[in-house]
Formats: sequence, C-alpha cells, structure tokens
Amino acid sequence: MTKFKALLKKDLQISKKTLMIPLWITAGFYLLILLITAVAYFSGDLNLNLGDIQGTPPSEMINYIANLAIMGFPGLISLIFIIILTQGALNENIKNNSELFHRSQPVSIWYQSASRYIVGIAGNWFVLFAISIFNFIIVAIILAVANKFIFTIAFAGMLQSVISFMKTGLIIGSITFFFSAVFKDKAFLQGLAIIVGVQFLFIILNALMQWHLPLPLSYLMKLINASTPTSIEPEIFSENVSYYINEVWKRILINWNTLLQIGVSGVLFVGATLIYKSREIK
Amino acid sequence: MIQENVIKVNNLTKYYGKLKALDNIELEIPEGRIIGLLGKNGAGKSTFMRCILGFLKHEGEIEILGKPIKRHQESIHENIAFIPDVNSLDDRLTVKQTMDYVSAINSSWNNEKATELLTSSDLKPNQRVGTLSKGMKTKLYLLITLSLDVKVLLLDEPTLGLDIVFRKEFFNTILGEFYDENKTIIISTHQVEEVEQILQDIIFIDEGKIILQQDIEELKNQFSIFTVPSDQKEKLEQYNPKVINKTLGHVSAVLDSKIEITNAEVNRPTLSDLFMEKVGGSK
Repeated sequence: MTKFKALLKKDLQISKKTLMIPLWITAGFYLLILLITAVAYFSGDLNLNLGDIQGTPPSEMINYIANLAIMGFPGLISLIFIIILTQGALNENIKNNSELFHRSQPVSIWYQSASRYIVGIAGNWFVLFAISIFNFIIVAIILAVANKFIFTIAFAGMLQSVISFMKTGLIIGSITFFFSAVFKDKAFLQGLAIIVGVQFLFIILNALMQWHLPLPLSYLMKLINASTPTSIEPEIFSENVSYYINEVWKRILINWNTLLQIGVSGVLFVGATLIYKSREIK
Repeated sequence: MIQENVIKVNNLTKYYGKLKALDNIELEIPEGRIIGLLGKNGAGKSTFMRCILGFLKHEGEIEILGKPIKRHQESIHENIAFIPDVNSLDDRLTVKQTMDYVSAINSSWNNEKATELLTSSDLKPNQRVGTLSKGMKTKLYLLITLSLDVKVLLLDEPTLGLDIVFRKEFFNTILGEFYDENKTIIISTHQVEEVEQILQDIIFIDEGKIILQQDIEELKNQFSIFTVPSDQKEKLEQYNPKVINKTLGHVSAVLDSKIEITNAEVNRPTLSDLFMEKVGGSK
C-alpha cells in the first residue's frame, strides 16, 4: 500500500494544475456574477425577489431545481477535464520522454495504471464535489434571502446532479482511459473518430445488406445515460416531494444500468492495463 | 574466490519485425565487475539492456541473481538500477517530489545517503526537473541512483550530450560512491576513451552478436599496435589486419602481440583500436 500511496501522491502532483482549473473557472464565473451584480446594483437595476415572481413554483421545487441546475456547468467542465486527464493517462510519459524512468521503478504496472485511473477520474470527482459544496452554500444563501431554504430538498437536488455527472464521468473517463492505452496522442479524438467511423460503416452495411448490426454510438449513449429528471410537474412534486426524490434516486443510482456502467468501466480499466502492459518499452 | 553470476543470458534473440536485433546471445556477467558494452550504432546495445530490464519481448532466457525473469517483472528493478539518457526524468516533478517518489517505492533507498548527497549538491529541492540544465539532471539522476542499494547498475549512454566536465564527474562519482566488489556496473557508451580507465571487462557487440567478452588487461596484452613506414605496408598486410590506419608517413595496425616485425614501433592498443580490429569499420 505504501507504494500505491506514493504513486497516487506523485500522480496528483503531476496533475494538480489541471485538476485545479475547474476551480479557477468556477471562481472566475462567480467573480463575473459579482461584478455584474455590483454594476446592476450601482446603476439601480438590481431586482432579486423570487417570491414576487408571478406563478412562482413552490419553494420545494425551487430548492430542488436550483441546486440541480447550478451543477450543470461545473458538471460539464468536470467531464471535459476527466477527458483531458484520462486521455493522457497511459501515454503522457511516452510523450514526456519519462516512460523509462517510471517503468524502471520496482512497482507493479497494475498499481501504476490504477493510480492514473483514480487521479484522472476520482480526482475530478473530488473537485466537482468541492465546487458543488461551494455552489450549494451560495444557492442556500440566495434562497434564504430571496425565498425559502429547505436543506434536505436542496441537498438532494445538488447530490443527484453531482452523482449523475460522476457516473457519466466514470464511463466517459474509462473509455478515454482505454483509448490512452491504444493511441499515443490525442487519444480521445482518435478513439471517437474510430467509433464514429464504425457507426457509419454499420449504418451503411445495415442499409445495404438488411443486417441489424448494433450501432456503437447508440449503445454508448445508452450506457452513459445520466438519467437526470427531465420534466417535473409542480403539483405532483409539491404533493409528494420525498416520493419524487426517491424515484429520481432509483433512476440515477439504484438500477442495473449503474451496475453495467461500473462493470464496463472495470473491463475497460483491465483492458487498458493489459494493453499498456503488453507494450514494449524501446 | 568464486565470483557468482549476477546476470546469465541463454540464447537471447530479439526481432523488431523482420530485423534480428539480437542474435542468440550467450553471456554470463559476474558480480563485482565494471563492464563496458561497446558496439556501433544499431549494434544492439540498448536492445540488450532493455531485454535484461524486462522491457522487450524476446526469445531465450535471462536470469538475474539466479532467478529467471519475466517481462515487466517488478522485482527486476529491486536489484537493478538503470540510467538511460538523463533526459528521461519526469520534467513535471520537482527535485524533492522525484526523490520522495523514488524513496517511497524502493525498499533499498538509503535516506541518510540521499540527504547527504543532496546537501553537498547545488540542487534546489523545490526546483522543477524541467527547468534543470542537462548537467543538473545528471546530478539528480546520480543522486537517486547512488541512494539505492542495488546489486547491478546499467548505464545506457548516460552522458550523451553532456560536456566533458560533467562526463568525467559522472563516472568518477559512480566509481567513488557506488562501486564495490559486490556490485556490477554495465556501461554502454560511445565515449569509450573516458571510461576506459575504469572498465575491467569489455563486451564487443556487432549486428546483435557478441563478438568478444574479455578482461581488458588480458585483451590489451594479447594485442599490440605495430607502426611501420608507409612504404613497408606489406609487413602489416601479410597478417591480414581488419583495419590499417594511415598517419603522416606511417601505417599502423593492431596485431597479435606475439608477432615480431623488424623496424616496427610497438605500442599498447586502446579500446578503440581493439574495437576496430575485432569489429572493423563501417561497411
């Protein structure tokens, strides 16, 4: 375990700057909002009163939706950075000419691979979670001032959104991690190009030969399926909030697709490590 | 005293596609020796070292410290330290991060020695490796290697691109700080003149084959350089040397020491002379 901890520490040190970028982007975003608010305040245009808006949905729904929605942007940023980190996970050392140094150390390739996989995916999860806590506090303050803050509902909204993005990140990160074992440069784009190419080939073959070959992109989209609530009926929601939130939990987390996502991610990790292991170091 | 073999190689053959990079190599490397691996570009020196380190697929068997090795076996690196071109350090880490990382994953790390070496060097712990000069990177790589208590040290062109001061310092430090009678060092370098004084054995490799493995003193006693005036070239040619060198008004060749040639000037050969005689020049 000491060796694995040392690897994790080293990989975090290498990826620290990249991992911090989403935090800086969020900070910049808030700074911009503050600036706009200040300008609006001083020019007398500031009007923030959610309770006064006509046809306002119930507070429960505002609490839920606000926390669900505010994680959209950081969630997308997190996915981008998962791709950035995992696409270099198993080929970055070759590009940096440091592969010989790292592979000359007495540490298992499985440990080396796992450490980079964890830093690339879980590292970004951790950052996303940190941002979500910060966002949650900001939204809580705004809601408490402008409407009504309901902790349990607001927190459920935030958590469901974050977990959806984490799951999407897990599967996209695992696919990109696999590509990093296959391609030495621009792994994500090269891998995607191949999937799109196969997709078109299968579409053409299906059309010409009357076959029913499964389309890889459609399968991937089904696998990624983030299952966030798409439409909420205000009446149903306010009548039975906890039932609704539980239903969303079932759609997000407690289902076969989650198991499948974890399983496929595991297979992709193992596959990537075996390919990496089989590579010769010249 | 019987010296044990630290590395034993049987029928080692390596192909890159159709190209045979190593051809049925049989070799035994005893402990406590400093061995030079000499060959032309593309002769198979680096491939040989990478096979020993378990980096390449190959045919044949390799034993390290009496145990057969498999490819990518973690334990290989517990016993062998490897310094390739010093630019292979990770530029993204700092000096301290690099040392902390290597110390945490190597059970043979000697922290006292590392601290002592770092203090006596001008390396700054918080400086990023990427910002170090090539000479400073060499010092860092040396510091790391010397802090590891390993049985075998492989050096693959470690001083490539370094100036003469750093090259001298590099090999002097290796000899002074690392080497003892229980450790084996294999050095592959083009700057053979600079390591000639520290080498005990030599291996000549050409086109993937081991041409010669011998104690250097024995080899140098076995051959001599014979120099005669240019108009007496035939005196050398009758012994069919691989190379005849021309100098101002004279010709010379490496021949068996037992040969006697009248009026010839006889000198002790260098490793380069012996290499040219055994392997020959470029084709």
